[in-house]
Amino acid sequence: MKLAVRTLLVSSLLIITQFAQAADSLVVFSGRSDKFVKPVINEFSKQTGIKVVLHTGKSTALLNKLNVEGERTDADLFLSNDAGTLQKGSELGLFMETPSAIASQISPNYRAKDNTWVGLSARARVLVINKNNPLAKSVTSVFDLADPKLKGQLGITNSTNESFIAGTTVYMLAAGKDKTKNWLQGMKDNVDGNVFNKHGKIVKTVAAGKLAVGLVNHYYIYRHLDEHPDAPIAIVLPDQGKDGMGVAWNVAGIAITKHSKKRELAEKLINFLVSSDGQKMFAETNHEYPTREGVPASAKVPAAGSFKVADVPMYKLGTQRNETIDLIEAVGMP
Amino acid sequence: MINRTFGALGNSALAVVLFAAVPLWFVISKSSELGLQQWQLLWTSRLPDLLWNTLSLAILVAISCFILGVSAAWWIARFDFPGRRYAVWLMVLPLTIPTYVFAHIYTTLFESDGWIGRVWINIFGDSIAIPDIYNIFGVTLILSLAGFSYVFLMAHSALSVSTQTMEEAARIQGASKWQVFTRINLPLLRPAIAAGLAVVILHVLSDFGAVSMLHYQTFTLSIYLQMSGRFDYESAAGLSLILVLLSLTFLVLERFFRARQRYYTNRQSRKHLLKPVTPLVTALIWSWLGLITLLAFVLPLAWMISWSWDAWMADVISSEFWSYAYNSLLLAVLCATFAIACGLPIALFNNRQRSRYSSALIQVSSVGFVLPGPVVALGIITFILSMLPFLYGGLLALLIALVIRFLPLSVQSQDASMQQLTPSIEQAGRILGATPLENLKRVILPMISGGIASAWVLVFIDTLKELPATLILRPTGFDTLPVRIWIEASEEMLELAAPAALMLVIGTLPVLWIMMKNERKYTT
Repeated sequence: MKLAVRTLLVSSLLIITQFAQAADSLVVFSGRSDKFVKPVINEFSKQTGIKVVLHTGKSTALLNKLNVEGERTDADLFLSNDAGTLQKGSELGLFMETPSAIASQISPNYRAKDNTWVGLSARARVLVINKNNPLAKSVTSVFDLADPKLKGQLGITNSTNESFIAGTTVYMLAAGKDKTKNWLQGMKDNVDGNVFNKHGKIVKTVAAGKLAVGLVNHYYIYRHLDEHPDAPIAIVLPDQGKDGMGVAWNVAGIAITKHSKKRELAEKLINFLVSSDGQKMFAETNHEYPTREGVPASAKVPAAGSFKVADVPMYKLGTQRNETIDLIEAVGMP
Repeated sequence: MINRTFGALGNSALAVVLFAAVPLWFVISKSSELGLQQWQLLWTSRLPDLLWNTLSLAILVAISCFILGVSAAWWIARFDFPGRRYAVWLMVLPLTIPTYVFAHIYTTLFESDGWIGRVWINIFGDSIAIPDIYNIFGVTLILSLAGFSYVFLMAHSALSVSTQTMEEAARIQGASKWQVFTRINLPLLRPAIAAGLAVVILHVLSDFGAVSMLHYQTFTLSIYLQMSGRFDYESAAGLSLILVLLSLTFLVLERFFRARQRYYTNRQSRKHLLKPVTPLVTALIWSWLGLITLLAFVLPLAWMISWSWDAWMADVISSEFWSYAYNSLLLAVLCATFAIACGLPIALFNNRQRSRYSSALIQVSSVGFVLPGPVVALGIITFILSMLPFLYGGLLALLIALVIRFLPLSVQSQDASMQQLTPSIEQAGRILGATPLENLKRVILPMISGGIASAWVLVFIDTLKELPATLILRPTGFDTLPVRIWIEASEEMLELAAPAALMLVIGTLPVLWIMMKNERKYTT
């Protein structure tokens, strides 16, 4: 009995003291898949000798954690796949400014107004179509997805998905609230149970011929084509042409936390990520577009600049976020 | 003397309960920041749907767990068919698979190129669409498969210790077999079934994994979305408060019905003889048990093995994988041990007192289980940061949250095993001159050691599978198997999620074995 008590006490002490982070390593709260972060982080560690600990989870959950932890947080940097989440963090005052010498290497559209976060890679909200389905040929705008003739032929993610919310925000700002509301309503009538929890499943289902068209991020199409080069699917960049609003864009980005005690090291990491080498590695692993001008995306995807992008600064994805969620809930999107 | 010991026991029970109530206090104080208008908005916009969704799900899952668990327990405990011993095992093995893994596997199985999907298309062609599981029936399927074992376990051990005298008396009086079942067996089984169903329903109310994977809006999911999507802690707390009230009402009702049923069995009465069976009945029993096993264990296991094999071949299992397994194991062992130690005084106190106060303590100690994991985690973070900031960042914060979450399992299970403690045994100990502590060590603890072991195993298993609180509270860089499954599965990296899920199953087997060995003491 006594021995058991002693063992308990000793092990509790061990637990309390364990897991303190070493002084020379950076902690990154990461909302992006390890697989796409590790290569570039490892390269950074190799070049600088700075150790990086990845603490991976859902962006929003990690931001909550950061918010509640306050100055007790371990995190030096916050990495997210969604500009809306990054901007929310800025609004909550959780980040500190990145020096403009580093931030200004990225175009102002892709970072916070006050440089509290910096965009690292961009993804396009596009349509995936089945090439053999005649219905798909007439779809040239995201607003066509509300067309009743696509009933049962449309696949979307559920409306709590970060990318879905971000895309809807862009449409709301570019095309107006009423038009977006009608669009959501039309899609709700059209989906007929084809609401997926993963973008990858939409692409797969379209490739299998069960659906004509799906609303996805562009890289999911190329991920599928990497594995199934003969799949009968194609990308449609929606809302092009003179009157089109352009493709909705979203960026993944990074921020230094307000209470980081390793500011210099953190700046070094961001500096590496916005450099040409870092940009190429960060974006290419996931077929995304580098945000630094002059760094080309992978040859498989439509070249940046070859298509029209909706003129919405990325920080708006955060400032408009709650309004978008309200709209989505008012329609009752699944 | 007696009073003083009661006092010490009562005080430690109260201390534990006060600590367990920290998340509840957090919920109350946060939701008090809600204005009247916001309450009205919540009431009109969300509550009706959430109440309906949550309650109907709980009822459906309870019904199907009752059918699966009681039928299996009845046959296994009463009929002597070949392979009976293995059948017990097969009925508890599904406990090793977390609900989010079940949900994930079943969504892929039901896709058009999944195993079930392909079989379906082969049989029905394209004329009948593959059933959609993103609805209440899909969630019911998954939560029932993941939960019926609790009902089975409780019903099975109750059936195994029950004696034949009453049934024989009824038969002699001319009751039919069915009458004996409904009027003798079911009422006798009621406490056990109620306890099993209570565990199932509490799991349903607090489930996060399956409902979030299948996007079925229950209280837990809605609370999580309020919190993480909108940073609206007040509304989340308001919804949590309603969920707690709902669950407590249910628990009080359950206790109320159970409290009126206390049986002391007479040890001298005759044990059951197993009924011999014909080959036809054997085939019937096994096809039912086989179907349950196929859906609840064999299919998921086959899926995990097949994807793990791919991972092994592709050589993606790194050394980090073993550290996730180690972390999970460490956490589960510590949490189970602490939860047992903390639960013992509460159960013991209730067993002695049987007062309103003591059962109120038990009710309050169950809040950890009915509050959604993320809310418990947030409550603990807030508490520790404001009261004990030096503890933050280590494993202890996570451990506290998990002990609070699973304390009810430990309390319920120990409390149930103490019901077998007849007052006369304790009195005998005292008459023979034992001090209360000696009595505890030499009479009570040995007698309820089976219950303690079961409680330890139940907490161990649930901790091993725990996801939402661990996601939020784990120390930086401390990943467990469930956390990795969650991360990899949400990125559709199945070849990385499957080995972790398989590892969970393998890690649970030894402790299940301990529990079943315990069980066997009664059955043979």
